[in-house]
Amino acid sequence: MTDSPLEILQRRFVRSVTFLSDPDFVKGATGGGTLTPEEAVDVYRKGYPARLTEALGETFEACWRVLGDEDFFAAAAAYIARTPSTSYNLSDYGASFPDFLEGGAAAHLKNSDAPFLGDLARFEWTFKELFHAKPHEGLSAAILAAQARPEAVLRFGGAVRLLSLKHRVHRIWSRDRSDASPLTPPDWTGAETLILYKDEGNPVFVYELTAPEFQALTALAAGRPLQDALASAEGLDAEGAKKLFAFIADAGIVTEVR
Amino acid sequence: MTDAPGGRESFVGVGLRSVHYSHLLSRPRVAVKWFEAISENYMDSEGRPLEVLLKIREDFPVALHGVSLSIGGVEGPRPGYLERLKTLSDRVRPFLVTDHLCFTGAHASNVHDLLPLPYTEEAVATVARNVARAQDALKRQIALENVSSYLSYRESVMTEWEFLVAVARRAGCKILLDVNNAYVSAMNHGFAAEAYVDAVPTELVAQIHLGGYTDTGKFLFDTHSRAPTDPVWALYRRVIGRMPQIPVLIEWDEDVPEWSGLEAQAVKAATIAEEERDRQPA
Repeated sequence: MTDSPLEILQRRFVRSVTFLSDPDFVKGATGGGTLTPEEAVDVYRKGYPARLTEALGETFEACWRVLGDEDFFAAAAAYIARTPSTSYNLSDYGASFPDFLEGGAAAHLKNSDAPFLGDLARFEWTFKELFHAKPHEGLSAAILAAQARPEAVLRFGGAVRLLSLKHRVHRIWSRDRSDASPLTPPDWTGAETLILYKDEGNPVFVYELTAPEFQALTALAAGRPLQDALASAEGLDAEGAKKLFAFIADAGIVTEVR
Repeated sequence: MTDAPGGRESFVGVGLRSVHYSHLLSRPRVAVKWFEAISENYMDSEGRPLEVLLKIREDFPVALHGVSLSIGGVEGPRPGYLERLKTLSDRVRPFLVTDHLCFTGAHASNVHDLLPLPYTEEAVATVARNVARAQDALKRQIALENVSSYLSYRESVMTEWEFLVAVARRAGCKILLDVNNAYVSAMNHGFAAEAYVDAVPTELVAQIHLGGYTDTGKFLFDTHSRAPTDPVWALYRRVIGRMPQIPVLIEWDEDVPEWSGLEAQAVKAATIAEEERDRQPA
């Protein structure tokens, strides 16, 4: 079946916006105002990367501050050229930007050498996802304490994320966000484990976890019984386990005990 | 909670923007009667934006205005889009659901722009088919907005306003008449804006939009970054004189002013609507 004239026109227009101006499309267009047809197509073609760059800038605000305008825009342009937007929602754009910053972006950066950028972007993407996630209603500390037997399995709510990163980026991200000037990162060397969560009516909370705490929470999230999960965390002593349980109860991240 | 415009008072609203969230949540006395929310900003979010919208909805009528329905796309709305919009609509209970008479992508790409359609019989039929699908999924009538454009097509066989009216009649939907867009397109493509708006039947119009454009020197660009210009206000006066009870919206998306600046534009639109209404025979 051959494509209809409308289908052909739409395909050519989209190609002209996202890739290269299609000569057949330009031939069939008339520019508005004093624009030539080619200039008129350019109006749309320039808008496309501008909107996607803005979307990346909103999600990856800290990466932008670290990179500065020149490098951030260069990285965004290179990413946009190879990653078309497929969602109707602009804020969905950039899921693979952390991997790009970690890998292919280096060739496009003039001033920056920041090995932690991929992790910083990963943190920002996770934060964005959690910001839009549905808040869950966690069990109160009293109910959790009453129900949490050693063999109990704790089910975490939907607005909880555990994040293990190769670099310490949380402190970079949490610097003064009202200040848009280029950021000199504090010491970022070493791994970092984090929990991000939110509950009803509250913003997203971020806490840095010790490696044993992260291991225990990961085991719990995977459905291992409480006692097993705590025991699986190397270096988590009785005092540490008590402290972690108190945190879990206060944070309201558990929605069900089985 | 109020649900819909009514009575003889003018019904002027503004676009709900995040920079005004804090101010509005303090429940100040405001001179606007309703708010318009961009559908996509709330369809996939359970975060603060939706929480704010639902709070606003407790006190004001709300219209949902989409930018990605792609009602003119040959592929039709994207999978899942209408279902999500229906879910949002059920929660917000808007008095109107609107989007744009355009397409926004092809073959899985979304360009996040309002690409103009050619004014052809095939485009009318395509839009009508998609509107039927949308109205069936949403269980309600929708309204489509005329867009600003910076190019036109040699293959068009009717004027923009003939196309707009043909779509509304064939599809059984309403028109969101954007007076600024009509003016921008008129200036860009060399026709009379007055002829455009005069040709749109009152009974098809569900809402009016007013916004500001930027004159680039080569063409007018629909930026929504400033107040409506004098010629747009004059065109609005001409339109609202025919339909003084139609809901009117001030759109401002870039360089959004403080609340008082936005509210002042709404007051101006309401004043003009009331002046024109008072001219009507009792």
